[in-house]
Amino acid sequence: MKFPAKGKLVYAAAGAALLAFAALVVAGGSGYAERIFIGLAISIVLAEALNLFNGFTGLFSLGHVGFMAIGAYASAILTLPLQAKASNLPDLPAWLAQVQLPFLPAALVGALVATLVAALVGVPLMRLTGPYVSVATMGFLVITQVVLANWDSMTRGARTFAGVQSLTTPVNAWIWAAVAVYLVLRIKNSSFGRSMRASRDNEIAAESIGTNVVGQRLIAFCMSAFLTAIGGALWAHFICAFSPKSFYFSQTFSVITMVVVGGLGSILGSVVGVLFVTVLSEILRYLEGGFSLGPLAVPPVYGASQVIMAIVLVLVIVYRPTGIMGESDSGLASLGKALGRRMGAGGANK
Amino acid sequence: MRKIMIPLIALAVAAVLSSCGKGGGSTIKIGVLYNLTGAQASLDGPSANGAKLAAKEINAAGGVLGKKIQLVSYDGKSDAETIGKAAAKLVDSDKVVAMLGFSDTDMVMAAAPIAAKAGIMFVTSGATSPKLPGQVPDYLFLACFGDNVQAAAAAEYAYGELKGKTAYILIDKGMEYTMLLGKYFKERYTELGGKVVLEDFYQTGDKDYSAQITKLKAQKKAPDLLFISSGPDDVGTIVKQFRDGGVKQPIFGGDGYDTPLLVQVAGAGANDIYFTTHSLMDAAAGSDAAKKFIAAYQAEYKAAPENAFAGLGYDTVKLIVDSIARAKSTDPKAIREALQTTSALPGVTGSITFQPGNPIPQKGVALIKVEDGKLSLASEKAPEKVPAP
Amino acid sequence: MTQLEYLLQQLINAVSMGSLYALMAIGLAMVFGILRLINFAHGDLIMVGSYGVLLLNAAGLPFIAAAAAGAALSGVAGLLMERLAYRPIRGAGDVAMLLNSFAVTILLENLGIVIFTAKSRPFPSPEAFNAVVELGAVRVSSLSLISIATTVILLVLLTIFVTKTEIGISLRATAQDLVAARLMGIDVNKVIAAAFLIGSCLAGVVGVLWSARIGKVDPLMGFQPVLKAFVASVVGGLGSIPGAVLGGYILGIIEVLLQGLLPSSLAPFRDAFVFALLIVLLLFRPNGIMGGRDKEKI
Repeated sequence: MKFPAKGKLVYAAAGAALLAFAALVVAGGSGYAERIFIGLAISIVLAEALNLFNGFTGLFSLGHVGFMAIGAYASAILTLPLQAKASNLPDLPAWLAQVQLPFLPAALVGALVATLVAALVGVPLMRLTGPYVSVATMGFLVITQVVLANWDSMTRGARTFAGVQSLTTPVNAWIWAAVAVYLVLRIKNSSFGRSMRASRDNEIAAESIGTNVVGQRLIAFCMSAFLTAIGGALWAHFICAFSPKSFYFSQTFSVITMVVVGGLGSILGSVVGVLFVTVLSEILRYLEGGFSLGPLAVPPVYGASQVIMAIVLVLVIVYRPTGIMGESDSGLASLGKALGRRMGAGGANK
Repeated sequence: MRKIMIPLIALAVAAVLSSCGKGGGSTIKIGVLYNLTGAQASLDGPSANGAKLAAKEINAAGGVLGKKIQLVSYDGKSDAETIGKAAAKLVDSDKVVAMLGFSDTDMVMAAAPIAAKAGIMFVTSGATSPKLPGQVPDYLFLACFGDNVQAAAAAEYAYGELKGKTAYILIDKGMEYTMLLGKYFKERYTELGGKVVLEDFYQTGDKDYSAQITKLKAQKKAPDLLFISSGPDDVGTIVKQFRDGGVKQPIFGGDGYDTPLLVQVAGAGANDIYFTTHSLMDAAAGSDAAKKFIAAYQAEYKAAPENAFAGLGYDTVKLIVDSIARAKSTDPKAIREALQTTSALPGVTGSITFQPGNPIPQKGVALIKVEDGKLSLASEKAPEKVPAP
Repeated sequence: MTQLEYLLQQLINAVSMGSLYALMAIGLAMVFGILRLINFAHGDLIMVGSYGVLLLNAAGLPFIAAAAAGAALSGVAGLLMERLAYRPIRGAGDVAMLLNSFAVTILLENLGIVIFTAKSRPFPSPEAFNAVVELGAVRVSSLSLISIATTVILLVLLTIFVTKTEIGISLRATAQDLVAARLMGIDVNKVIAAAFLIGSCLAGVVGVLWSARIGKVDPLMGFQPVLKAFVASVVGGLGSIPGAVLGGYILGIIEVLLQGLLPSSLAPFRDAFVFALLIVLLLFRPNGIMGGRDKEKI
């Protein structure tokens, strides 16, 4: 069964949903609107990072949220003011207890730690095939969960890590979102990106021409981990109170849905996917609390929003497995070409 | 497929738009945050019910300052992100004058800082950590006693009345509440002269305790009693497995035991158990205030209050409204000042008094005994000495 | 108790947990063998079975009947799952199937929350399960023995099924090579349905035993068991039934070994060690212990 990619009905439905979403945001007040705005940016960073690995290499990682957790905890520990460190993390090793960094250095350090872990974990993992990679990366997620939940001196164990400074602003969140989109786009269109996608489509052929498939995958894994960790750092300083449970399967499902619904392998798709999932979940969350439609009062049904989200994902996978945008970035590419023509008028053929 | 989607979306949009014009400025809005789903639901659910009941009674009697009160509630889903968003909404969009909720320390920390930043006070009905006010200075109050108080009461009873000279302590390391409770118990108990033979841990949600049970039974000298610091969702399983494993000594715990799940899940093991909580919700043996509350709750919800947390939710709403009445204003700062000077306000869970500068009230501790699945009041008094937070 | 008795106690713990893991892993193995589907939603079948028993028992059915009915209910749920979520995307590739199973598990878990609320409910295990058998200083719960006995019986039945019955043999054939099986006239749809039915019923049985062990049911209860089942299944080799059984018991033994050997400061990290060992195993045997080499036709 085919969905028309550009049907009037689909556009109308999308328009209506966006309208409802806008109404919700306006009614929610400026603080709420700002939170949605920042949330979108962070989700874009996470989605693009996941897309970089899952979309380009053909392997499907289920453990990326583990890197998000590393970025979040590492950066949060580093930015925590010294007094809060003393009261919340009394057993922190001395060299850490004395340090307090501003957001950017802390986030970068967190991302570096995540990249190192990715390199370590990636060496055995990148040699595996298909479902084994998925299960192994899921194993990695569980390992990070267990470590975070039990390393009391560093992370307060399973208890809430609260008091994180609210350092994520719409500005720095969206700058990182733009950086993420740009980076992944450049990678996709680089020879490295093309080679990776070739390996994805036919591993043996790629190897036969000398491509180091495992090495490529490892690099993609590490880059993806870096970006994911940045997303984690942004998230930590946005939510300001979290625990290891915030970085487990619920979050994994959320990010994966965004990437898959948008289109695995499509840069624009990840953005569209983020928008789609955010709009839908906010509308559903509102409706979940009970609403009235004229004389009809619908009681609250908590948990229904997740059910509907899952159904949507199933429908997308069954009826449109390549996602909303497919794998194409034709829109972006032609935009890029048009821009190039404008700016380099009279230059060589593009 | 398409034919269904369009009307569905239209319906959703209409629902959202039509509900957007919420009630006007003729009510006083109080924000209510509870986890109606998730691990905290067995404590928060009854609290939410108690809160709603209180609001209903207050409005029936004319409201406060000539206006009715309106509780704006959201489900926290036991998730920090959801709680944060809900708190932001309450502050920005619903423009509440005060916030209340949660029975757990970690949950409060996800919401209270957001309220505090906007100058709105947060009163927690059931989160008992005495460290909370330090973490959110000036804007966080407790309507319940602190963990140091209830742990001390348990220790004094265990050592004094029950004459238990040695103890085994098992602590859930996944919650701030259980860690603190265990710590305070150990402190007071050893101060009294008790000896801890073994201290062990588990993680929230663990399903299997055979390792801990085996380790306990391998001890050369069996302890006189057990102190198991557990949350509501695990306590039934733990007690069942320990009793099934042949552990017969009395078991002590905190208000996390105050859930119907204890007796339901532990079954025959629910015997010789003692726990501290805010009050005994028993229609026959409770205080007059408790009896009246139970009757009203029964009438409203067709079921008896599940535990003391129902009473806490009820008392917290009344506490806030009382402060609004004495402040004679809905300005959040004025309400806060009035709250701090609350003195001897009668409640279902005991009388509430705030000492100057202390956002934790002085309240008595009810020590409940569970015998063959039946609850009874073993003792009700304040502890003699309380460990520092 | 003496060293020997302690060892025996732990061994029985290990074997009884291993039995449960083995039963669960078999369900995963059967489905993966044929469809190359990693069915995350397998854990929720455990939940469905448990709630089934709970409700039927509360409605008056005696426990054994309710348990059997609960297992059957899981089987039906598995069939529905296959028909509605997995059959439409057969052939769409591993990733699509994986994602769908992910979505199905979220769906079922939250459906459970909506219907039953997230609160746990006590499980009505009969007194017979709670009895304790004493062998010297070793205390063994009758539940452990029942788990082991049930598993052995089911394994025997399963072995007879896959070696002696027509559908069982067709199942093995389809797992080996789906296209060839189809060419030989095997009704692949029926075989896949059978695989789901059996695997899901086994999950239902695990549900009964698992819930009896912990004393309660809640909508998210299937999550932890399914993770363990994955480890067991991968250790033994995805797609191999004997591998699944082997993996289940190995996992049970390793868990208990680690619990005993790890110093108490590291004991809470036990699960991390289990998964780390899994990754190490995959380094040397990328297809598990009994998984063969993947033959790739160019």
